[in-house]
Amino acid sequence: MPDLQTFGLTKRFGGLLAVNNVSFSLDRGEILGVIGPNGAGKTTFINLVSGVYAPSSGRIRFKGRDITNLAAHKRARAGIARTFQIIHPLENLNVAENVMLGFLFTRRSSLKEARKSAEALCGSLGLSGLDRDVSEITMLETKKLEIAHALANDPTVLFLDEVMAGLNVDETTDVVRLVRNVAREKNIGVGVVEHVMSVIRDLTHRVIVLEAGEIIAAGPYEEVAKNPRVIAAYLGGAG
Amino acid sequence: MTKAVRRFLPIVVIAAAIFFPFMAGPYPLAVAQSVLISMALAVSWDMLLRSGQISFGIAGFFGIGAYGAALSTLKLSVSPIVSILFAGACAALVAFVLGFVILRLRKVYFAITTLALAEIFQVIIHNWGDFTGGPEGIVLPSLIFKGDSRSLYWLALASVLLACAFSAVFQRSRLRFALTAVRNNEVSARSSGIAIFSYLMIAFVTTSFLQGIVGGIHVQIYGYASPDSVFDANYTLLPLAMALLGGTYSTPGPVLGAILLGVASEYLKLKIPYGHLVVYGIIIVLVILLLPEGLYGQYCKRVKASAKEGAGPKAAGTEAAHA
Repeated sequence: MPDLQTFGLTKRFGGLLAVNNVSFSLDRGEILGVIGPNGAGKTTFINLVSGVYAPSSGRIRFKGRDITNLAAHKRARAGIARTFQIIHPLENLNVAENVMLGFLFTRRSSLKEARKSAEALCGSLGLSGLDRDVSEITMLETKKLEIAHALANDPTVLFLDEVMAGLNVDETTDVVRLVRNVAREKNIGVGVVEHVMSVIRDLTHRVIVLEAGEIIAAGPYEEVAKNPRVIAAYLGGAG
Repeated sequence: MTKAVRRFLPIVVIAAAIFFPFMAGPYPLAVAQSVLISMALAVSWDMLLRSGQISFGIAGFFGIGAYGAALSTLKLSVSPIVSILFAGACAALVAFVLGFVILRLRKVYFAITTLALAEIFQVIIHNWGDFTGGPEGIVLPSLIFKGDSRSLYWLALASVLLACAFSAVFQRSRLRFALTAVRNNEVSARSSGIAIFSYLMIAFVTTSFLQGIVGGIHVQIYGYASPDSVFDANYTLLPLAMALLGGTYSTPGPVLGAILLGVASEYLKLKIPYGHLVVYGIIIVLVILLLPEGLYGQYCKRVKASAKEGAGPKAAGTEAAHA
């Protein structure tokens, strides 16, 4: 059984159906692309899975257990981690301390252990200068910090919400390689929400395409990219 | 400042505070005593502020503590020290029960609710009639330490040391991480596995406990509690202004602010009676506009900047910021 599954997941905001009847699965070691035009419901979907919102209907299963009504912080402890589209490293905590959070609160490490683990994790991601203020770091470092912040939870599945946005080509390549290595080495399932198609093509094993909250196509990138409905969703037209 | 200075400065300050009564006359001692009461409240208020919650209810929990101590002394004839602990327990219990409701509120809604609660406590005490002594309040039959002014001063100092000890524990434990994360972004904090409500409750009950203790000490020192005196809005506003002036999210900040504002307001009270309130209102406005991090916050920033420029030990700034 896949680690993470949703069944008919639906979220309504008043009259708007942000996510409509989405069933999907994500397994350890797998990298899944989640694409779709702006407003398709990608971030809302992550928010449902990570517990920021409660779904209007549908179920979520994780490691064989129904987590539909589990609080967000308990889902984090169970092994669901995510990054945020609007990045916000925590001010008043330096780089290392930002990464320590996951170790402190999902793994219940002591301060000393958490500091050590955070240093090791940052080292493996090529993030240095750990005593710096988060206001002093570059865009690339911010993205790596976001990933480290999520990985500190020791997740089984990890959702990356537009983590490549704002990076140049070289930096993107760097982060793509990093995500691929992390997924393989730590054997975690990664859900990648991304607008940069080359990233989706290079990184993912499988893609689901959302439009107006619904899955309109699923499969390997090459297949999905040729799907007329997907092309219509991106370029407009009669579909 | 070198590391050694930073380590020994608190010890020097505490030693100076302990020996102060041997050097000062009765008037400075009385002023210092009231400054210490406000200082303990300022430190306790800052501890909750670290979670992003602004409380305007300091006077409420201070007042509950004052009445807890006064009533337990009068009705249960407990010793003064026990009555002070009882005062803290009363305030903590009230905070714990109310916490289940009001810790679901945020920002201005939380602030206004705490302000309203302090009013409600006052109204209840005011109208309880015989049990609380009503509007006339309660006069204790005797003062703690037989009213010896030095001992009373040390008692007030003890409340500050207690508040600072709790504050230091907050700053050196995972509580600092939890509260800072909650203050910054609750969604992100949850994604790191932080049980927000639990940590808010810990902070709220702890600060209320301290404010109750300070209220209890206040009553034992002055031997008198009435609804108008112990629920006075000044017990909310003065500590709050002290913490803002000195620097929030730290232990030294509120302490520094309390010394400066406490002495300044006493001086101004003599120079321009009642006008002193206007002056320290102006001080608060200027600090918020010009020094939002307060004096200590500004100092930490400077230390950090110079450490970076001078290629000094990088840890210096961060360490100061965590004191």
